[in-house]
Amino acid sequence: MAKILVVDDEAAILRALRAGLEARGHQALLATSGEEAIGKVALDAPDVVVLDLGLPDMDGLDVLRRIREWSDVPVVVLTAEGSDDRKVQALDEGADDYVTKPFSMAELLARLRVALRHRASGGGPPLDASVLEVGDVRLDLGRHEATVGGRPVDLTPKEFAFLAFLARWPGRVLTHRAILQEVWGPEYGTETQYLRVYASQLRKKLADDPEQPRLVTEPGVGYRLVDPAERPRP
Amino acid sequence: MVDLRAAGRAPWLGAGLGAALVVALSGALVPVRDNVTPASPALLLVLTVVVAGVVGGAASAVVTAVVAATAFNLVFVVPYWTLKVNAGEDWVALGVFLAVALVIGVLVAEQAERRRAAEAREADLRVLYEQMQAIAAERARLLEEAGRVSVLERVDEQRAALLRSVSHDLRTPLSAIRAVAEDLRDGPAYDDATRAELLATVCEEAERLDRIVANLLSMSRIEAGAFQPSRQAVDLAELVADRSRRLRALFRQARLQVDLPADLPLVDGDYSQLDQVVTNLLENAARYAPPGSTVRVTARPVGEGAVDGGVELRVADEGIGVPEWERARVFEPFRRGEGSASSGVGLAICKAVVDAHGGRISVHRTPGGGATFVVQLPAGG
Repeated sequence: MAKILVVDDEAAILRALRAGLEARGHQALLATSGEEAIGKVALDAPDVVVLDLGLPDMDGLDVLRRIREWSDVPVVVLTAEGSDDRKVQALDEGADDYVTKPFSMAELLARLRVALRHRASGGGPPLDASVLEVGDVRLDLGRHEATVGGRPVDLTPKEFAFLAFLARWPGRVLTHRAILQEVWGPEYGTETQYLRVYASQLRKKLADDPEQPRLVTEPGVGYRLVDPAERPRP
Repeated sequence: MVDLRAAGRAPWLGAGLGAALVVALSGALVPVRDNVTPASPALLLVLTVVVAGVVGGAASAVVTAVVAATAFNLVFVVPYWTLKVNAGEDWVALGVFLAVALVIGVLVAEQAERRRAAEAREADLRVLYEQMQAIAAERARLLEEAGRVSVLERVDEQRAALLRSVSHDLRTPLSAIRAVAEDLRDGPAYDDATRAELLATVCEEAERLDRIVANLLSMSRIEAGAFQPSRQAVDLAELVADRSRRLRALFRQARLQVDLPADLPLVDGDYSQLDQVVTNLLENAARYAPPGSTVRVTARPVGEGAVDGGVELRVADEGIGVPEWERARVFEPFRRGEGSASSGVGLAICKAVVDAHGGRISVHRTPGGGATFVVQLPAGG
């Protein structure tokens, strides 16, 4: 059971989420404005925050910034805006993930699970972890060896670095910029065409099922590595 | 620029013409020279100098004057056909003739010169004026062009704003519907009360979608200029009561209080359009009304008599209100309040409908804080 703060100015969304979360044994806290949300994060110490970016009193991104000044509570951003820029901005400002309206409850719950898991693990695996596992993908960082379902896969150093970065944060979306800077270096950030090429090669080598890929493209935002077995029903 | 003073002048032509006239005139007067005093040919010869001066300028006049004086001496001063002059008074006459011819010729030439210059200046001014006219026309055309471009830009902006509003507005109720419907299908077993509440939410959000679509359709009709009320006698009290009952769900947190007198005159209007006005005003009030506050709907007859006066409808909330400088602009399309989740077309539709009915809509401050929308409609027959 987790304590989940839902911030949205739409009464219908609040009613739906409260019912859905409580029925699954979570405790739902509700806030309808940015100020109220900041106050509740401070006073009630929720385990995770669901934050709508379109709030009546302030921009959701500002709420996120204010929260991030003193709290590392996982934040899943809820947005009705089609704009990818806002999602990327929210992720850059410290959001853990996002869900686009209209969303399904299962999708939101999956994101919340990932966010809660990262919080439980203290923000990802220890830096000196020598093995990363996401579903049947296993990466031995010391030997630079990758296997899928026990089958060895031959990866180039860049492909390995790309996959290892995603595998450190299973289920979580990582932005193009974050991946480029991690794998190619800090002077990179806009060369998303590299990522498309490497992602496509990786999918071939992992023998990803196009219907249920392990390496998921989030158009305009980035990539995430998921365990297909954990995927919510679409 | 061409030297305009030189333009109208032809010294050789003037002198030639002058000389020719002198010869012709002298020749013509030979038969009668003994029957007239020398003054007559002298005056006629001065005319040739005048002609030469007008045509060829001062130089032509001088040359013609000398030629005319010589001809006068040869033809009209005794003895004829010689340059000899016998009488002293003839010398005087010749001298006076030459002086008068010279003075008149030069004066006339100068005058003609001045007239030509004035004409040239006038032509010059006319050209300048035409150029300025052309520049002004070009400037006006450019301004008009710029105006058209800015109108197009505004239309583009409005279209983009509309798309943003539509996607935002439609997605918000759709989110709730989708989340609830999928959860009821795939999620945990809910108790009956929660299940009923969730299903009510789905219905309310579906109705909200319907209202948004109705507003968008009206907006497109208004923009296409095809928004004419089909009038009938409308009982506003009944309309408001009916609409308030249907929108009860919007007033879970704020209280809706409707107070309409029974003797309200009928309004000459389009029922469904007026219904949209009331719906949008109530939805707007519900959106801005803080929890625990009251939204008041009142109406009263206005004008001289209850019948030929009209009806005034007021929808007052106790929310944040509309600042003075925003009051005229809240009725513009796609202008949404601070952080508002509305499409920004609702109030624009209200204004379009009320205007089409020959009424007035305005927003004021609710005593104690909040916004009061006032609609005045003419009464029906």
